This record gives sequence, structure tokens and C-alpha cells, in this order.
Amino acid sequence: MMKVIIDNFSNIFNITLIYATFRSAVPIIFAALCAAITQQADILNIATEGIMLIGGFAAVTVSYFTGSWFLGVLTAMLLGAVIAMIMAVGHIRYNADICGIGMGINLFAVAFTRFLLKAVYNTNGAFSDPSIKPIPRVNIPFIASIPVIGDIFNNWTVTEWFVLILIAFLQFLFYKTVWGLRLRAVGQFPEATKTAGINVTMMKYEAMLISGVVGGLAGAHLSLGYSVQFVDNMTNNRGFMGVAAMYFGGANPILTSIGCLLFGLADSIGNRLQAYGIPSQFVLMMPYIVTVVVLAISMAIKLSTNRRKESSLTTAAVAEEAGS
Amino acid sequence: MERQAAYVCLSLVIEKDEKMDEYVIEMKDIVKNFGTIQAVKNGQFTLKKGEIHSLIGENGAGKSTMMKLLYGMYPIDDGEIFVAGKKVEHLTPKSAISLGIGMVHQEFMLVNELRVVENIILGFEPTKGLTIDFDTARKNIRRYIEQYHLDVQMEKRVSQISVGEAQRVEIIKTLMHGAEIIILDEPTAVLTPQETKGLFRILHNLKEDGKSIVFISHKLNEVMEISDRISVMRQGNYMGTVDRDETSPVDLTKRMIGREVFLNVNRTETTPGEKILDVQDIWVSSHKETSKIRGLSLSVHAGEILGVAGIDGNGQSELVDAITGLRPVEKGKVILNGVDVTNKSPKKIRKAGLAHIPEDRNKRGLNRAMSISDNLSVVGIDENPYSSHMLLNRSAQHENAMEKIKEFDIRPADYTLPASSMSGGNAQKVVVAREVSLGKKLLIASQPTRGVDVGAIETIRNTIDKAKKQGAGVLLVSAELEEIMSLSDRIIVIHDGAITGELTAAEANETTMGLLMMGNAEEAKKEEGEAV
Amino acid sequence: MSKTLESARKVLLTILLALAIGAVFIIAFGENPFSAYIALVQGAFKGKLHLGTTLSTFTPLLLTSVAFCVAAEAGAFNVGVEGEVFLGGIVAAYLGVNWGFLPVPALMIVCFLGAMLVSAAWAFIPAVLRAYFNVSEVCTTILMNSVALQITSYLVSGPMSAGTANAQSKPVLVTLPQLMKPSNLNAGIFIAIIVVVLVIFMLYKTTLGFKIRAVGKNPSHADYVGISSKRIFITSMMISGMMGGIAGCIQVLGAYGYFLNNFAAGLGSNGMLAALIVRSNVLATPFMAFFLAILNSGAMGMQQATGVPKALVDTITAVFIIIATMDTLFEFKKNSTKKKAKKEVTEG
Repeated sequence: MMKVIIDNFSNIFNITLIYATFRSAVPIIFAALCAAITQQADILNIATEGIMLIGGFAAVTVSYFTGSWFLGVLTAMLLGAVIAMIMAVGHIRYNADICGIGMGINLFAVAFTRFLLKAVYNTNGAFSDPSIKPIPRVNIPFIASIPVIGDIFNNWTVTEWFVLILIAFLQFLFYKTVWGLRLRAVGQFPEATKTAGINVTMMKYEAMLISGVVGGLAGAHLSLGYSVQFVDNMTNNRGFMGVAAMYFGGANPILTSIGCLLFGLADSIGNRLQAYGIPSQFVLMMPYIVTVVVLAISMAIKLSTNRRKESSLTTAAVAEEAGS
Repeated sequence: MERQAAYVCLSLVIEKDEKMDEYVIEMKDIVKNFGTIQAVKNGQFTLKKGEIHSLIGENGAGKSTMMKLLYGMYPIDDGEIFVAGKKVEHLTPKSAISLGIGMVHQEFMLVNELRVVENIILGFEPTKGLTIDFDTARKNIRRYIEQYHLDVQMEKRVSQISVGEAQRVEIIKTLMHGAEIIILDEPTAVLTPQETKGLFRILHNLKEDGKSIVFISHKLNEVMEISDRISVMRQGNYMGTVDRDETSPVDLTKRMIGREVFLNVNRTETTPGEKILDVQDIWVSSHKETSKIRGLSLSVHAGEILGVAGIDGNGQSELVDAITGLRPVEKGKVILNGVDVTNKSPKKIRKAGLAHIPEDRNKRGLNRAMSISDNLSVVGIDENPYSSHMLLNRSAQHENAMEKIKEFDIRPADYTLPASSMSGGNAQKVVVAREVSLGKKLLIASQPTRGVDVGAIETIRNTIDKAKKQGAGVLLVSAELEEIMSLSDRIIVIHDGAITGELTAAEANETTMGLLMMGNAEEAKKEEGEAV
Repeated sequence: MSKTLESARKVLLTILLALAIGAVFIIAFGENPFSAYIALVQGAFKGKLHLGTTLSTFTPLLLTSVAFCVAAEAGAFNVGVEGEVFLGGIVAAYLGVNWGFLPVPALMIVCFLGAMLVSAAWAFIPAVLRAYFNVSEVCTTILMNSVALQITSYLVSGPMSAGTANAQSKPVLVTLPQLMKPSNLNAGIFIAIIVVVLVIFMLYKTTLGFKIRAVGKNPSHADYVGISSKRIFITSMMISGMMGGIAGCIQVLGAYGYFLNNFAAGLGSNGMLAALIVRSNVLATPFMAFFLAILNSGAMGMQQATGVPKALVDTITAVFIIIATMDTLFEFKKNSTKKKAKKEVTEG
């Protein structure tokens, strides 16, 4: 395998890899942001995967029947919110275990979309059709004419540009606004937040709702932006990768997105390697292995920084140094 | 700005209504149940404007619950609450705050990871456009700091500040929320005598400014010092209200307990034997700077109790964890019974001769979901008689449980019930019974009577003394000075993770210990000299 | 009402509610829900073939569901059973095809041991990551399932391929006795039952079981009394992995006779479902596994008889689990009626 990489180094690692990485990462970034919102309120949204899948199906279906990609995306976001609210009511009101109900939602999404594929399109496996209107791509002639920049930035889909806005928006929302402060307080010490007169339950519902909208959007991007079709179980664990990236970035939108880019990189390198005769299975398993490894390393780093911070030895040494 | 206007209106309302009704708060015939437990059966409480009114009672008397009901943390099951003469219903913390009620909880309601300023404004954030206006927030907070001498460092994270400071943050928070009525739930439990004095000065300032204060406590001397009026509760029942000048500690005790109780614990004089525990210059990590241990040494001998006094969070928990193998020792050595147990597993350390009553019985001491019987036999579960050939011996477990339940009068006596069905005192008796009956050479007792009723306190303290009499070395860690002084043969005081003084039982008095607990070793020496 | 009765009532209500929601879908699909459900029951029980298929579906589910419970007893959420089934299967297939030099009974034992060993080792990875680095085992086990699937898929389409059109291994040289032909049912069901009984015995009667339960209920208490919560957590995950491995081995040596690519898809998640519905109660889980087996094999019959796709039954099952996880759903209603009753009494 190493030989293949070395022989074809310039073909694998070239300028187009940057966009390829970003392109593979975007669905995961959406998913990770979906998980990050609830994580700030200390709810592990393991159902990201399922919400995406349902969003993806809804987007394709609405786009196919109405011919409007925008309505498709909107419906996906709406349905994402509905699913998230079911989960929120189950978890918050009826005390459902969050992992349990989340996995339930995921299984539901796979089975239900499979059923609908059969019921609506009378097909198994995949549905694609020319009348599905995809999310449009932004073509800026001015940028396209610049050599390197053009290769990287031209022809992005609307949602690919939007994800950048979303990252910035959430970063602002979490750390600069009243809502963000309250959300973080809810996640870290709900009792204290309650005594400050804040409705903790309401905050959790709000977080879940927004998370659902973003999750639906993630699905819509996957089925109308990243590709133009619906395939049975097409999320293919991207939701879980998003959750992993969210852990990696500690639910901070920017750090989380950086984690997603790592997965995107692994994915796009993998795809290129496939062209050089590396068995598809290796390529397919690569992002998962990378995710697990990155997750393990990031948690190990977090632990060791914590340990250093808590140590009685290091800080004393620093203090001594400062004293002398 | 808007909220300040609301606040002015509110105080107007209060003034006006006062002419009709002298009470700013009136709670009548309050009933509150938690499941099958009757926390408050017959709660009565009144508060006048500008008074400090103490609410006293034993642990579990219902005093905290009463005030939590007033603050809207739980709904009341029955009864009426009047605020400024008006009946209020469906209180929530939010509506309580808007009625001018503020509460400083026993466990601080502060988010550790957020900064002090963020904690103070939480729920009442001033905004500028879409963002939080921190400049205005700081300006507002500074006003309170100056007016009432409530020194706090606004930019520090709460995890980095001391307990006393955190309490001041809480008080500022209630004032920022426009509180005219401030409830303090056992505020002195975590303070040194000196810090307590500081708090009392602040409370007087607040009172002079016209605020009404509810002071929950079970420390009679403090109550006698600070209060205008005192209300007593016992087992969920209201036992009367008296003026401070017309009562005495003895009278209050009678009302609280129904009889005059003097804890019947006599320290047995023994001659210390060989060295059981030798802690040599250990360094231990902590998430809090003031709890890090940097070079601490101590030793415990057979047949003596070494008391470790100090305010919570000065490294006591870390010290105990390090000795018992629950936290790594970064440097130094722990020798137990002649064996080097530094960084050994808890199991190995227990084998070397350790019994341990932990400070947090719910988190560590007990497995609340398992039965009382399981909890009484969980130490050594994989050895005879509880296990043989990898199989559990239920009847041995049950025999042991019956024996302990009888010996320590543990209730309920049905050992198949889960540990969560026991009251605090009985739960702690289970932990004590299990650990002490192991007959190990070293007994570490950490906050052994925290949150326990008077009857159980007596049993537990006597049991610890008995263990010493039978030749065990005891390391007693407690934030209760009285407990340390009544049981220990030698006392060390720790502050900021270091020993600030070592005294014999005879030398110890509250002032000296209080100064040492604050880290003022020199002043303590002076004080000692004067006392002589 | 006793606790068991209470939870039985809850499960029953949940089933009814899920079936009702399913009926709505079936009507929307244009079929009669009653005939569909009757077809489902017939598909599960009618005749040797159908009953045998139900039982042979039950076999791996029994193991995977209890595997989930064992991990849950120690506080782990092991989604990775599915990957462990895949790996157990591939190891059994490898040994069963290539170690023909061993006498048949020994080969059989070696196949099982190999499967258990590798699956336990696989479960060891997320367990250690969780215990020592606090990496969520939910996440890692989900991701590792995909890795396990790809590894086995590579092996049976590459080095271990039988060369057929379907990706599958050569037939193994040792198989479990078949029962109720022509169904897939085999003696593996007895192995599964014995293993599950042993595991339940282990949990409640042995010292190790006590420790696992103690760690699951309160790990810091366990550490304090001298039970290493980390080690016990890892041990229980490995036991869970072993059970997955046994399930994989039974499928390869019993149900198929070779390793079929992607054969374990859904075995792990369905097992997890069964466990989740009864909140990982290890005594109730086998019954739930049986119920899901009925739904699964009955759904095939329903699909053939009425044209209602199997995916719909999976949907109903998922709805079932979503409702079942809601702890207080039916309790709440009961409480409010009780309160009302009480009020009436006091008012009267």
C-alpha cells in the first residue's frame, strides 16, 4: 500500500484534495454541529444519524415532487425538528435513556426510509431521478479565473457555503450571547441554572429543536448537495462520525469542524487510493479507523493536559521559576 | 435598567403593604412530602422587614425544605404562602426572584466552569445588541462590592476561588436579582470562625440597608449572636418562635430535640503504640489549586486518634484519597503497617490493614441500588466467608447483616431492602459498621458524622473511640471542630494543602484552630501565648 | 401491584401501542392490518419451516441480546456486539475450513474457542479506551462495527473466498446437527440456551457477577471497596464480546455451513433492541429476544402473503423501542388518575 502511495504521490496529494476533503467533510460537519448544540446542554444526541437519514429522504422526495430544492431542504429541516422533539419529549418528559431512545430513532429511520422507498418509489436500495432538483452550486466567474483559488473555492453548493456561516453563527451563539451562556450553564450545572430563574427544561427543548433543524439540514445536504439521490442507509455512519468529531472538539463549533476535516481528508485520500487497486474494503473502513484513533488520541491528550493542570508538581515548579 | 425600575416598584409595594401587614413573608400550615417521606408536616414561618430571623433544627427537621418551598424549588402540597401580604401560588424560582426573594444554597449554585461575572449575571444578563454587555455587568457588580464589602474577583473561574468568596458571589447574585429577602441555608458550615465573623458583618450591613434575612443553622452560638428572632423546627413540625433576648441555648436545644442532649462521648486515654501509618512528604494532585498537597508528612500510631482539622477543600479529601489508593501519589511515600503502599490498588492497601469511612457515603460509601446486606459485606466479598470457589455465599452475607443490624441498631432491619431506603444516619451506620468491624490496624474516618442525626452521631463517635481503645490507629478528618476536639489525641490543622499547626488535645481551642485553619500560623502562636 | 407485574403490564401496553401505530402505516400502505398481522403470526409459527426459522432467528438474538445486558450490567452501552458476531463468524469459518487436521469434535471446540477469543479481544479495544481514556464506548463500538464488517467482507471476497458469485467462504468441515429441516434451525440453539443460563448464573450467583453489578451501579463505590471498576468493566465487555463470538460461530457452523458476507447485519442491533425494551433486565431479555424473532421471521411471511414489506415490521419494532425507553410514559397516566381519585376522596 505504501508503494502505491509513494508512486502516485503527486496524483493523490494535489490541489484538488483540498476541495475533496472539504466536500467529504461538510455532511459530517453538519452532523457534528447538530450533536454539538445538544451536547452544550449535556444531552448526547446519538440520533444525529437517524435525523439525517430522515432529512435526506424528505429532501429528495419534496424536491422530486415539487421541483424545488429549497422546499426540500426546508421540509428536511422541519422533519428533523419533529424527530428531535419526539426524542426530547421522550428524554426530558418521560425520562427515556438518551442512548436508548437515540438508537431507537436511528433504527426507526433506517427501517422507515427503507419502507418508504418501497412504498413511495417501489424500489429497493436507491432512488435517483432527473427530476430531483439538487441544491444549486455557486459559480463565481471572477474566482474561477484565479488559478489555485478557483480550483478550491469555485462551484461550491449553497449549503457548502452555508456551513461556514453556520459554524461562525454557532460559535457566536454559544460564547457571546445570553442564550449561549444559559445553554452552557444548563449543560454544566442545571440545578444552579434553575435557581437563577432559568427554565432548564425549556432550554433543553430549544437546544434539541435547533439540533433537529441542523440535523435535517445535514440530511438534505447529503441527498441534494453532496449527491442527488436517496440510497438506503445512505448516511453510512456519518452521523456517528459527527458525534465523534463533536467529542474531539469538545462541542466547540470551530474545533469540532476541524475534527470533521480530518475525517474528510481520510475519506478523500481513501477514494483516490481505490483508483490504484487498493481493495475497496480498506478504503471504506479507513474513516472509521481514523475516527476511533483520533477520538482516542484527543481524549488521551485531554486527560494528560488535565492531569498536568491538576498536578501538584508542575504548577509548583512553574511558581518556583516565576519566583526566581 | 428595566429591571431596576421593576425593583423600585416592588419595594414601594412592600412598603405600602407593610402598613396593612407587618410581615414580608408569611408561611401557614405548610405540608410537603417527598414520596413516602414527610419532609414538612406543619410548617409555620413569618419574616419582618429588616430583621434577621434564624430557622433552626436538627438535620432533617425540614428547615431547608421550608425555605426551598418559599424559593419555589418544589411546589407545596398544602398550606399558604403570603409575600408582602399577598397570597402567592405556583411559586417557581423565577417568580420568587421577581417577588424579591433570593437564596444562598448550602451547596453553592455556581457553575464551576464559568467565570464569576458570568455566574452573577446568569439569568439577568444585560445586553448590547445581540451580545452580552459585560462592561455594564461589571459596573453593576462593582457597586455591590463597594456598598457591602463583598470582595470578589470577577474574572476568575468559580473553580479557582475559595469557599468564602464563592459565598460572597452568591450573595451578590441575589442582590443583583433584586432580592429584598435573602435566605441563607447553613452558610457557616463551610467557613472558619474568622470567615463567619466576616459574613456576619456583611449580614449586618444588609440588615441596616433594610433587607430581611433568613438564617438557617443548627449552630446555637451563631444563632444567638446574629438573630433578632428564632424559629425552631423538629421532624417537620413547627416548634415555636422566640425573640433572641428571651431565650437561651438550653431552651432552644429543648425545643430542637425535645430533651436536653449532651453528646455522651468520652475520649479514652490510651498509650500510643507502634507506628501504623507513616506518610512521608507526599505530593497529590487536585482540580483545585488550594486542595493540592505539596509535601505533607504525618504519622498515626496504634491506639491514638489523629485529628485533621481544616475547612473543606484544603486538601483533606486529596490526602485521604492518596493514602487509600483512590488518587495517585505524585511524589513521596505512604507506609502502612510497615508495608510500602504508595500508589498500590485500594484492594492491596485494604489488605495491608486499612478500613475507611469515606466522606461521601452516597457516592462512595454505599451502593444505593444494592441491598443493605450486600452493602454490609461488600468489602472482602471475594473471600471467605462471603465467597468460596468463586460462588457467593448468600447465607453468610445474611448472617453478617443480621449481626450488624442488631449491633448498630440499623433501621430498617430488613436487609434485603436497597440501601437507598435508609435515612442518612442509618446509612452512615452501615458504612461505619462494615468498616470498623473489619478490625484493621488503621481506620480512616472522613467526615464521619456529616448529615447525620444526633442519635447516630453519638453511636458513630463512640464506635470510633472504641476502635482506638482496641488498638487501631485512627485518622479522623472532619470540618467540625467540636468533633475533632472531643475525639482526637493529637490534632493537625491543614490549610492550602499544607500542615499549618500541630496541637495536642489539651492545647486546642477554637480561636487558635480557627486561625490555623485560615493559614495564620503566626497569629495563632500569638493567640496561644496570650491565652497562657 | 408487584414490580414484575408492573413491568409486564408496561411491556404489554407498549406492544399494543406499537402494533396500533404499525396498523396505521399498514392502512396507509393500502392493506388490511388484521390480515397482515395474522399473516405475520402464521409466518412465524405455521409448519415446521416457519417455526424452525423463528427458532433459528431466535438463536443468535438470544445471545446478542444477553451479550448487551452483560455489558450493561457493568454500565457499558455495547453497540459493538454486531461486529463481534462478524468476527466470531469469520474466525470459526477460517478454522473450520483450514484446520481439518483436527478430529471433528476437537475442531468444533477449537472453532468456538477461537471465535470467543477474537471477539473478546475486539471488545477489549473499546473497553480499554473507555476505562482508561474516557472515550465513549457508544461511539467507538458503532464505528468498529463498520470496521469489522469491512474486514470480514474483504476476507470472504478475497483470501478466503470460495470463488462463487456471492461473497462467501468455502464450506466448513465441521457443522452443528440440523433440526427441523428445511429450516436453518440447528443444535446451536441448545448451546445458546446453555450459554445464556450460565451467564445469568454467573451474574447472580458468583463473585464476579456481584462485582459486575456493583461496578454497574456505582463504579466509585466499587473502587473504594477494592473492586477495580476499570478491570471489571473491561471483563464484562469481553464476556459480552465472547457471547457475540459464540453467536457468530453458531451461525457459521450451524445456520449456513460457511461464512456468508454481511450475514450478521441487524443481529447485534436487534439484540440490543430486545435488551433495551426491558431496560437490560437479563431475565426478561430472552423473552423479548424471542418476541423479536417472531416479528422478524413472521415479517417474511407477511411480506410474501400480503405484500407489506418487511421494512414495515422493522419500523414497528423501532417504534416499539422508542416507546419502551420512555420510563414514565404509562406511569404518568396512572399517577394522574390516582391523584384525581385522591382529590375526589378529600373533596367528598
